[in-house]
Amino acid sequence: MNREEIGDLAAAYALGGLDGADRARFEALLRTGDAEALAALRDFEGTLTDLAAVTPEAPPPAVKAALMERIVAAPPAARAGARPRARRGRAIWPAVLSGAMAAGIAAIVVGWSVSSTYEKRLDALANDAEQLKAELRSQQTVIAILRDPATQVVALAGQASAPTARARMMWHEKAGGVFVATGLPATPAGKAYQLWAIAGSNAPVSAGVFNVDASGVGSLSVRPLPGVSTVNAFAVTLEPAGGLPAPSGEMYLLGKS
Amino acid sequence: MSSAGTGSETGALITRIAAGDRDAFSRFYDLLAPTAFGLIRRVLRDPEAAAEVLQEVFWQVWREARQYDPERGSPEAWLVMRAKTRAIDRLRSVRRRDRTFVAPVDESVATRDDGPVENPAVVAEDRQLVQTALAQLPEPQRRVIEMAFFEGLTQSEIAIRLREPLGTVKTRARLGLERLRSTLRGERMSAT
Repeated sequence: MNREEIGDLAAAYALGGLDGADRARFEALLRTGDAEALAALRDFEGTLTDLAAVTPEAPPPAVKAALMERIVAAPPAARAGARPRARRGRAIWPAVLSGAMAAGIAAIVVGWSVSSTYEKRLDALANDAEQLKAELRSQQTVIAILRDPATQVVALAGQASAPTARARMMWHEKAGGVFVATGLPATPAGKAYQLWAIAGSNAPVSAGVFNVDASGVGSLSVRPLPGVSTVNAFAVTLEPAGGLPAPSGEMYLLGKS
Repeated sequence: MSSAGTGSETGALITRIAAGDRDAFSRFYDLLAPTAFGLIRRVLRDPEAAAEVLQEVFWQVWREARQYDPERGSPEAWLVMRAKTRAIDRLRSVRRRDRTFVAPVDESVATRDDGPVENPAVVAEDRQLVQTALAQLPEPQRRVIEMAFFEGLTQSEIAIRLREPLGTVKTRARLGLERLRSTLRGERMSAT
């Protein structure tokens, strides 16, 4: 490794931006006690320390308070005896440690080569987990609605324009509802089916629009409707795509609770 | 600043900390926590996470003071490098978890104007020197240093962001640090 390359590695290492394989290489070099690498690193770390000192910030007092409490409970590591061990004392530990280090370096080199692969996999898994969580949340909403005794189940029957259509509405005034319909004609272009909630003698309130697939099945997840508690009837009409504030088209389904 | 005045004091403090001296730890904290916290906050932004990292860093100081080797650098550098490593580790784990990158640092160190908190470890003139030296760096070199040191990006990530070859990024980081170092040395010498 030439001088410039050592400098590149030392700079990146001090900055914290050295990637896997390079990092293992440089750390191995440091462990051999390479004077040039050590000097370069020391210089760069000193420079960065000066750089960090440009923007000091007073830490919250709670941090020091917590630390002082912690250190009372635990003495510095490996200090069972009060007498400080001579820094350069020749003990058996260096030999033991160097053996352990050799094993450690080997493990690190292997580790770095696979770590980037795992990094990517972790990212992919995190994505999957997010999707599953979202799915789970929506399923949980459905289950909560089904389990609650306060949930109304309303069967809707097909009207003159679609006599064989049927639908079911599971409705909970606080949690919202789930609506599933079958046997409806495919949605004509520029149109949409619109679900209405009718409470007492009030005007119907829109609960959303939906389309049906080729097999005539459509479904809709309904949020709680503001100002609507107990619903007396649900109805489905065919309206312009996007729906209207009040029903205007032909009625396809109707069910009273 | 590491090379101006506090060096010998912090060195003596570390020796005492290694012997379990709590007063020495308290003093060491007072001297250097603002520098460490300033750096951690630049990397992490989130004040609560930064406070946690700061506590971990100083906890390590207490536990591992014996491992400090004066031949490897000043106590200040020992501490700051730990703070940096911890903060960047935390940042990367947050990124992995959230899959959202923090907003890139758009303001430069040189122009940051949150009123600096007085740090007894840093002589104001020294701070001025560093700011001047940083401002004198060519923009591409300064950018690479900031992206790595404060935003926790690896060199490959920086290369991708800047759409530059990896080799260029490596060289810029080294040249930038070398230049920063020699400017600081030169100015200190001429100041004394």
